[in-house]
Amino acid sequence: MISLHRQASPAYICLPLVIICVVITFNLLKQTLPDLSQGAFDFSVGLSGPEAKAMSTAVFQFSVLPRMTIALLVGAALGLAGVLMQQVLRNPIASPTTLGVASGAQLGLLLATLFAPGLLAFGSEWVALAGGAISLLIVLSLSWHRGLAPVAVVLAGLVVNLYIGALSTVLILFHQEEFRGLMIWAAGSLAQNSWSDTLHLLPRLIVAAVIAGLMARPLGLLELDESSASSLGISVRKLRLLALGLSVFITASAVSLVGIVGFVGLAAPVIVKLMGARTLAQRLLWAPVFGGLLLLTTDLFLLQYSAQLPSMVPTGAMTGLLGAPLLLWLIPRLSLKSTAQSTSKTTLQTARKPTSRMFLWLLALLTIASIVALFVTQSIGGWVFNGTGQWESIVTWRLPRVLAAAGAGVLLALAGTTIQRMTGNPMASPEVLGISSGTAIGLIVTIYFSTNVTAPLLILAGAMSAVITLAVLILLNRRTGFQSERLLLTGIAIAALFEPLRSIFLANGDPRIQQVIAWMSGSTYYVDFSTGLSALLLAALMVTLTPLVARWLDVLPLGRNVALGLGLSVDRVRLILLALVAILTAFATLIVGPLSFTGLLAPHVARMLGFSKALPHLVGSAIVGALLMISADWLGRQVLFPQEIPAGLVAALLGGAYFMWGLRRY
Amino acid sequence: MQTGSAGTWLAMVSAAKCQRFCFPAMLFFLDNLLLSVRHFGHPQARVGGLLLLPFFFLTFVSLNVDASVSSPSQSQNEAPRVAAIDWTLVETLMSLGIVPVAAAQIKDYQAWVVEPSLPEQVVDIGLRAQPNRELAASLNLDLILISPLYSAIEPTLSQIASVQTLTTYNPDNDFWQNLVETTRRVGELTNHSAEAEAVIEHHRTRIDQMKEKIATDTPPLLVVQFIDDRHVRAYGEGSLYDMVINRLGLQNAWKGETNMWGYTTVGIEELITQGYLVIVDPVPMSAEEIFNNNRLWQALPAVRHDRVLSLPAVWSFGALPSAVRFADELYQALTDQHATELGLNNL
Repeated sequence: MISLHRQASPAYICLPLVIICVVITFNLLKQTLPDLSQGAFDFSVGLSGPEAKAMSTAVFQFSVLPRMTIALLVGAALGLAGVLMQQVLRNPIASPTTLGVASGAQLGLLLATLFAPGLLAFGSEWVALAGGAISLLIVLSLSWHRGLAPVAVVLAGLVVNLYIGALSTVLILFHQEEFRGLMIWAAGSLAQNSWSDTLHLLPRLIVAAVIAGLMARPLGLLELDESSASSLGISVRKLRLLALGLSVFITASAVSLVGIVGFVGLAAPVIVKLMGARTLAQRLLWAPVFGGLLLLTTDLFLLQYSAQLPSMVPTGAMTGLLGAPLLLWLIPRLSLKSTAQSTSKTTLQTARKPTSRMFLWLLALLTIASIVALFVTQSIGGWVFNGTGQWESIVTWRLPRVLAAAGAGVLLALAGTTIQRMTGNPMASPEVLGISSGTAIGLIVTIYFSTNVTAPLLILAGAMSAVITLAVLILLNRRTGFQSERLLLTGIAIAALFEPLRSIFLANGDPRIQQVIAWMSGSTYYVDFSTGLSALLLAALMVTLTPLVARWLDVLPLGRNVALGLGLSVDRVRLILLALVAILTAFATLIVGPLSFTGLLAPHVARMLGFSKALPHLVGSAIVGALLMISADWLGRQVLFPQEIPAGLVAALLGGAYFMWGLRRY
Repeated sequence: MQTGSAGTWLAMVSAAKCQRFCFPAMLFFLDNLLLSVRHFGHPQARVGGLLLLPFFFLTFVSLNVDASVSSPSQSQNEAPRVAAIDWTLVETLMSLGIVPVAAAQIKDYQAWVVEPSLPEQVVDIGLRAQPNRELAASLNLDLILISPLYSAIEPTLSQIASVQTLTTYNPDNDFWQNLVETTRRVGELTNHSAEAEAVIEHHRTRIDQMKEKIATDTPPLLVVQFIDDRHVRAYGEGSLYDMVINRLGLQNAWKGETNMWGYTTVGIEELITQGYLVIVDPVPMSAEEIFNNNRLWQALPAVRHDRVLSLPAVWSFGALPSAVRFADELYQALTDQHATELGLNNL
């Protein structure tokens, strides 16, 4: 971490926030309190006299004050959780949102609302706690084999976040009307109308703060390395477990009340550290204070200007939007342990010998999958296997989808293989680079601002935003020579922008939701024959071009120095490969959406099957990618017939599950 | 699914046979395939897998079954076979006495639009944003009705039948006039122009009758729907409820900003009105607690003066039938309320 020179203190940044808060509060009260017939509540039927006074007192007492209090408390809770996580994992970018705890808690509540509402009466907080704990466990087990290295943990967190995002997208797609309320809550609205939430959170926060205070000293010793800490008589494992459990508990309590509040948990500890809170005790004190003030300030700003906005912007989503630039700013200033070298060995180890026969088997499977996808379907009468008589319906409805699915699968698989070999990181994928998210952001914005959405418009918007995202990636990483860790972190920050935008859109219950979600979740639905064919042709072209980059991808995983020694101009090669990945991803995203895990998965499967050298690896994963997407598309059309689950989502659900299960072995 | 001819009956029987026969065959095949992949090295398994391949294809080709079960029979007043993606258009069709052949998300329609309810023979063609085209194509449709919301799927749907895009939400026009135009247009497209005029006239007079009977000095109304225990949707200019209120000669109390569909999401502290607070069902479970012991709620002028009206669910993006149903319910509630207020005053 960098530190600012001189005698800095977090007080210097907290004080201005306090002043801003006081000013805005005063301003708001001036509008609300004196007379309801003026200012914000000016209706044609003004209240007068004692009634107005009673109402304004009630609004102040039961809406404004609790809202301000809950903002402080939630911010403090997240700040505290963030400090604990960062300390335990020795990871400067750990936080409830980056580790997937918040979204896990949210998914738990979504599922409970839909399938077991009885659980919620028992206590929504426990449901949230279970969800958060499970997703943290998954994140940690995914990054366990890499010694919980910061980037590995955060990457695993992102993968889990994306996966949870895919799951909740399916739920929302099919229960649009029922989820009206949940969407607002999920986006982190702080609106209050009684003190009950405050009374709920306050005791929990106090208990957590006391426990954290008691743990401050032993936890501080964790900054030394583990062996010396345990030699001081601390049961390191128990201590870590306790601290992590505590942070999950606080997060879950806050999330179950007001939904996901993005990035306060990350920003608060990091900023107070930058402002000079060196010791853990100092950070435990200042991070909650700063977190609370940060959230309150954001909320007050939104309150002040909400009257001018036709749509609601929930505070939690807003802090999420602010957090992404912060992360981008932060990344170049972090000194992260590099893990690239250690990985290249593990990733290149393979269990089985690669065989050309394996190719044949894969191709046979691919053929079978295509035939099933083309000829087998459900109809109102039940399952139908139709062959020659149905050419028209097969060619019109199924062939384009199969072509497009195959094409997108190949493109994503090639992109994924390239990026994984280039960064030497098995968790890297096009999704992780943020290009898919960037494309999706462009699509959302387009749909929001245009009344008449057409396919060419969307394609244009998607392509443009992919290019912009790529430019951002290149700009931010040019000076560091496209170093893999930073590249991935930049991608995470861009992906982090996507979530809050999506939340805001969903929270407003816009009837266009279903359209947006259908597009975002990546369906081959909109593909016509020529698009499908061109996707496949592009994919085929890319596959034939792979020999050109194969040598680079064989050499790059050996490390920068070896690559330089072999006469490779590493920076230039990385730039070319990056641009290539971006193009591949953008095309694929337009067809199957930002969330399919094909780019992550196909390279893994190919490697498990024994393709370790670059060229067979590329080709093998291309076939696996096509296979995965064709099967996903077909399954999506059949599982909930006549409703269609978008192929991208099916691939994400199948692939993600397999991935999390399979990664234990790495 | 109308009267089945002998041919379609045969097709159905053979489809059933095909399932019974083909499924085990496929499973057997897949099972062997998995086995042979797993025991990759075993020559026996490989031979077995390869032997099964041609068998599999043969099953396919020999059992070629016609999928379309329904025949393009003419029914109902020479109305074309029509499907509607948008619920508002489904509602309009039903009001003209036309049962659509297919509609999207029927289960949700029954839950949210409620009236007019759809008979069972209507085929569900899946999500509104992505209706199942293959299924739709097998229904021999003549016409598909969509709203501009789903214009992205217009080109692809037009491969199945002629697609008509009908606008109900158009901020430039009078909302009532929009609904009238839509109804008229649906009538034209389905050869039901006379019925359409009758329906329009009927709804117009219903509302006019109610307007005559409603006291002109009725205080303004603030129409909301609860989203959860902290948020409500307030319906302002551009919404169906607002249109009905104005049409009845009443005043809408919500003057704040609204989105393209005429509503906005706010907290309950903003529900300040001297007039009536109208709550449209459904109220989520979590919100019901508010009515009992929330101090802020109790401080609202409408609550203090017992001027809260509760209405059953009415589709807030509906067409003429929904509009009149809302007017009906509102009128009923206002009359009841008026009676109690009078009774109180007389005491």
